[in-house]
Amino acid sequence: MTEKRRRPQPDVLLRVPSGTEFLAAIRDTTKRVAELAGLDAATAEQVALAVDEASTNVIEHAYGGARDRFVDLAFTCEPDALLVEIVDDGRPVDRSAVPRVDLRRYARERRRGGFGMHLMGRIMDRVSFRRRGRSNVCCMVKKLPAAEGREAR
Amino acid sequence: MSELSVESHEREGVVLLYPSGFINAHTVRLFEGALQKALDGGCYQIVVSGVGLRYVASAGLGALMGVIEEVRTNGGDIRLAELNETVRNIFEMLGFNHLYRIFPSEQEAVLSFREASGRGRAPA
Repeated sequence: MTEKRRRPQPDVLLRVPSGTEFLAAIRDTTKRVAELAGLDAATAEQVALAVDEASTNVIEHAYGGARDRFVDLAFTCEPDALLVEIVDDGRPVDRSAVPRVDLRRYARERRRGGFGMHLMGRIMDRVSFRRRGRSNVCCMVKKLPAAEGREAR
Repeated sequence: MSELSVESHEREGVVLLYPSGFINAHTVRLFEGALQKALDGGCYQIVVSGVGLRYVASAGLGALMGVIEEVRTNGGDIRLAELNETVRNIFEMLGFNHLYRIFPSEQEAVLSFREASGRGRAPA
């Protein structure tokens, strides 16, 4: 899969209803695709976490907990990176600023949220958000080991 | 099969929680409930054993953050033990290892409540 040089194309498409009970399916699919793309098991697990967090944000924030919508995921294995797009048609959510996590302040304020975006940024090489028509699109990129090796040289 | 179960035991005044499976936005209520039950019972010395914990998303970290102030205000602490590499990496990615003491074994975590200086990783 990493040797492909043709035009990028979505290798896997996944559509799940907007219920948190489907997060396990998202996680399992992401982990498997990430491994097939060439990432080791531990990194694939982390990528699955990042996609879990992005999908949770869609369900809880863009859809406000509504269970009758859909989360669409597209996985594309490029020669040097795994691309994951998470698309929803919920309300626009400003995610331009990734909050800086201050754990001691969060503890004092008894905050339970605000970690997901931070984790996504730490795990993935690139995280971006945009509107496409009436949809929100979260695009995440994870470089593959061979690409990182080339950059190091 | 349920994605998460949480067993609870008490040993020497310490509540041990054993979340088994996955903690994410779907299952976190069960974990929060187990933590809250300990607090409602006046138990503020808590060890979360990760021996059966395969994966934790930010919802699980948030559950710990939501109660840690109350626990420490009451003279207690939440300590973690036997985290697998995946879970430990997630904790370290967010710097939770600076806020929570993490022990290699459940026994060391329990004993740390009885000793002035535990052998786990001390918070910064």
